[in-house]
Amino acid sequence: MKFKKAESHNAEVDMTPMIDIVFQLIAFFMVAINFEQMQADERVKLPRDRLAKPAEVKRDNELVLNVGYDRNERGERTDRLGRVDPDAPALVFYAGDPTPVLNFAPKLKLEQQVFKDTGVDPREVTVVIRADSEVPTGLVQQLIKMAQEASFEKFAVKATQARDDT
Amino acid sequence: MKVRGSGGKVQKVEQQMAPMIDIVFQLLIFFLLTLKIVEPEGDFSVNMPIAAPSQTPQDALDLPIKVRLTADPETGELMQLFFNNRPLGDGPEAFQQLNTQMLQLTWSGNSRNPLTKDVEVEIDVDYELNYEYFIKAVSNVTGRMLNGQQQRYAEKIKFAAPREPRARGAG
Repeated sequence: MKFKKAESHNAEVDMTPMIDIVFQLIAFFMVAINFEQMQADERVKLPRDRLAKPAEVKRDNELVLNVGYDRNERGERTDRLGRVDPDAPALVFYAGDPTPVLNFAPKLKLEQQVFKDTGVDPREVTVVIRADSEVPTGLVQQLIKMAQEASFEKFAVKATQARDDT
Repeated sequence: MKVRGSGGKVQKVEQQMAPMIDIVFQLLIFFLLTLKIVEPEGDFSVNMPIAAPSQTPQDALDLPIKVRLTADPETGELMQLFFNNRPLGDGPEAFQQLNTQMLQLTWSGNSRNPLTKDVEVEIDVDYELNYEYFIKAVSNVTGRMLNGQQQRYAEKIKFAAPREPRARGAG
């Protein structure tokens, strides 16, 4: 009896490494899912406004276009290679490769095709534009024009809600 | 039975808490660092008539209100804000005035002016104008906050035809 007891004591399973890994996995998936849901791009500094209100009805189909600049840690505009360049062109951050706004038309056409293929009328899709405060408005207009040529018709422009109630 | 019954022999299984706490703290720190407080965002709808606006306005009330913003071609800063061709200035007071003008136009006292309920505002901007001024203009023709409630002025906002860039390297 005495001998047997000592043996059963040794058969304990160490749970700690398993828990470690499980927690790590949980953390990984939480973060991965978060990134997937975010259509916003952190490089875009939206203008602030008091009146900007989230849409009351959630739109079924939207195409979010982020327009902004590559910036370094100090907030200066940079070119694609990270060199400071105040004249760097505004880029559309969409589906991987940042594209200069004026070269974005083919991607819009592609997107229109994708919507059509999935049975969605592009005219029912709201194109949501998230543009950086410093983007020239003319560029935004040109982007809208290109979207219209790709038969999108509804547009919305985004701003961050400012807190003050003045 | 005797052996089992004696309290001293029951082995208490001790839980090792230290490694778990280590990991929980690691997770906590990880999330603290990666947490980005997402600020609530709102949007304004913009009407964009397809290329050629063909409709001819029947009377003066159908004419859109014209808000024009001119910009410094080099910096994109606002130079002048016009409300139906009347200059309002270039600072925050200009937007305040724009707001007041819209209020007078669309509201009489506590009720909405029925004549201008469906008024359309056309925003005409210089190519180089920084986008934030455009948003400000849109906001100020859309309405104002009154006691935590929105008082709406114009619901229809559209862009005028785009203007050509004047400065170098704007695109």
